[in-house]
This record gives sequence, C-alpha cells and structure tokens, in this order.
Amino acid sequence: MKATIFSPPSRHSLAGQFLLSKLPTTLLFQCDAVAYREPHVKMVVVEYVGDGHDVTTDLKNHRRYHHDSDLEKALNRVDFFRIFHTMALRYGFDHFGVLQLGNEGDACTLTNRLALHDLPSGLANEYDKRHRFGDSAVFKSLHTSSIPSIWKAEDPHPGHGGDLLGQLGFDMLMCVPVTGVNGARYAVLFLGDAEDMERQAHFALCYDAVCAFDYFYRLVLSNKAGLGLTPRETEILRWISHGKTASEIALIVSVSEHTVNSHTATILKKLDVVNRTQMVAKAIREQIIQ
Amino acid sequence: MRPYNAYPQPYYQPFTKRNCQMTHPIHILLVDDDPAEDLIMRGLMKKVMSVEVHLHYCQTIDAAFDFIQTGTPVSMVLMDNRLQQCDFRETVPALRQQGYIGPIGVISSSLADPYFQKFEEYGADFRIDKAELDPTAIEFILREYVTRS
Repeated sequence: MKATIFSPPSRHSLAGQFLLSKLPTTLLFQCDAVAYREPHVKMVVVEYVGDGHDVTTDLKNHRRYHHDSDLEKALNRVDFFRIFHTMALRYGFDHFGVLQLGNEGDACTLTNRLALHDLPSGLANEYDKRHRFGDSAVFKSLHTSSIPSIWKAEDPHPGHGGDLLGQLGFDMLMCVPVTGVNGARYAVLFLGDAEDMERQAHFALCYDAVCAFDYFYRLVLSNKAGLGLTPRETEILRWISHGKTASEIALIVSVSEHTVNSHTATILKKLDVVNRTQMVAKAIREQIIQ
Repeated sequence: MRPYNAYPQPYYQPFTKRNCQMTHPIHILLVDDDPAEDLIMRGLMKKVMSVEVHLHYCQTIDAAFDFIQTGTPVSMVLMDNRLQQCDFRETVPALRQQGYIGPIGVISSSLADPYFQKFEEYGADFRIDKAELDPTAIEFILREYVTRS
C-alpha cells in the first residue's frame, strides 16, 4: 500500500528542524503499516529510503520519565546493571533479570537465558542443577502471552516442578515481556518479597522496563553484524593481525585485558566470523586492514 | 530486603563464602584520598557473601603505583574520580602506563560531569556512583570482570 505521512513543523525540537531541512515535509513511500494522522504526533521515527539510504531516529517524543538521563548516558553492561538494579529497588523488588525467550521447545537453562541479572551469585546455577527452567509455568506463560504478569508464592501451581518462585525462594515475581527492535523476544523479571503491587506502580514499572530494555537491546544485545568497526576495534584488529595476545594488546593500547577481549568478541560478531584467524583473513579481504 | 541466606529453600544450601563458585580470594585495590571511604568500603566488602574480598587501600596515585609494583595480585582497581588535583582522565592512563591490565572502575559521588561519557577512552572499564555500590553491585562487577576472565 502507499501511505503519506505529514510531519508538521516542530516548534521546539531542534532535531525536528533538522529533519525538516533535510527531508520534504511530505514523504511518499511504500509501507506495510497503516499510518494514523494525529495532530499531536509531531514526529516519531522516520525511515526514508530515497536515492541513498537515510534513516533517522528521534526519540524526543519517547517519554522515559525516571531514567531519561541515565538511559541517554548508558554505555556498557555495568551502566545497564545500575539502571535495572535501581529500578528494581525503587519499586520494592530485590533483584532483576533480563531473560532471553527464544523458542519454547528449545532446551534451556536459567543461566544461559539470563542476559543480565543481579541475582545472588550461584543461584541460577544451583537452580539449573535441580530444575528445568523450560518446565516452569512462568517460562511457558511467557510463550503464551505478551501481557505483563505478576506471580506470587501463594498462587496455586500445576505441579510438575513448575513453581519457579518457590524454587528460587522469592515471594513475588513480575514479568514484563519485551521485544527488541528486530523482534527478538525477551522478558524483564523483577523478584522480591513484597506482598503485592499497586496498579499505578505496576504500570509505571512496566513502562520503565520497556524503555530501559529498548536501550539495552540497541546498545548491548543487538547483533551488530555488518556494521562498521569503531576506530578502537580496528586498532585492536590490527594488533591481532600482528600476532599480539590480548594481554599484550592491553598493554599497548592502555586498556584492560577484559576490554580487549570484549572488543575482540564484538569484531567477531560484526565480521560474522568464528575465530581470530578467520577474522584477520576476512579483514584483509575486506580491506579493513592491509 | 531479606538476607539471601534467609530465603526459605530447604533443598538449597545457602550460598556462602565456603561453597560459592568463586573460591579464590579477590584482591581489590581502592585508591581514594579520603580514608573514610576505606572504612565504608571495608564494611561493604564484608557483606559480599559469595566471595572473599581482600581490600587494599592507597591514598594517592603514587602509592597505588608502588603497590602495583610490589607484585601483589590485584584483581580490580576502584579509582576515586578526583585525587587531589587530578581526575580519572589522568590517573587511569597513568596506571595503565605502569603495566596494569586488570579492570579499573571509576567511582565517584557524582557521575554528572560530561567527561564521564568518555571513560572507556581513558582506559577505564566501568563507572559507578559511590551511592550505588552495594553488595549486589560488587558481586555483579566481580562476575563481569574478574571471574569471567
């Protein structure tokens, strides 16, 4: 179908002015979605494919409330740990977890599915030794519906070892199903010992979790295959091609060995290769390095 | 918040420093010009149940250099942002120049200054507000930077 989206002039947004100066106010393109013309919508996300490929994303209209500043500044996993951890404590929970859902039929362990969490050390491992996460009612429910849910220890359970809360030793669990921009399914979990949660707090936490996950996914989780290497990644790639080890590169580049390994993992992902040898070979083929 | 060991899970052994996964003591070097932070951090580290933390303290960056040179295994450095006249943009690269390749975390009572956004460029691994440092945060950071590597 063909759709026309009108973008009225923004009175306050500099980004809006930038867009208007760059793009025509009326865009005509093929789209699969139905476009609603609402007077209060100034601009949300514009994807414009013309002669070249021009994609602009503006999140000014995306309200982020409590974590606006933190989300804009977040750079790595520790930053997102801080955001989710603070969020959990603010709403009376003790812990959080970001859970990758994947396919329901796949064999899964809690340890492998947790992309980020602040559970006590060893808890997920101990759980996996005794139980199958895939059998839990919570896991199954996350594959049945995308409505946020609250689980309590006193809720009746169907049996068959599915009582995740009892097995983990918490009184309340809140699940917020979320998706990445490419459709990858995750859930943000909040665990604690509160008795119940007020409606407004429930709504607010759901919204905050969706916002934080969106940033977390785009900055940390998403597969950046095909994207360009950063200058630091290119520098590390060059040293790898010279046969240096991670600890040697750390000394040369003045970063930690952990950072070197982290960059190396990112390069592997971006170049879509499986080891350092293939990485260097492909980098030379692609003329990233000489 | 209920202490983790108090959770009603009869078939779980409580996770303690004895039976946790991290069996080796972790040596953390705190560099901070305020000795009170050393006391606060020691109290905090005692609450970390999953690992035995040995906290070492240096008041100046020069003392930290000397400590590193002694060869004591340092698993992680927690660097106060401001040490006398300089901030982490000088101290962290200087520590790297001494050959330290372990993780360095910048701690501060405020992360609001814009230059914190460039902490990775100066060789730091993470930043965290001192008010956000609790046993859970310490355990997370150790999992991320010490036990995985």
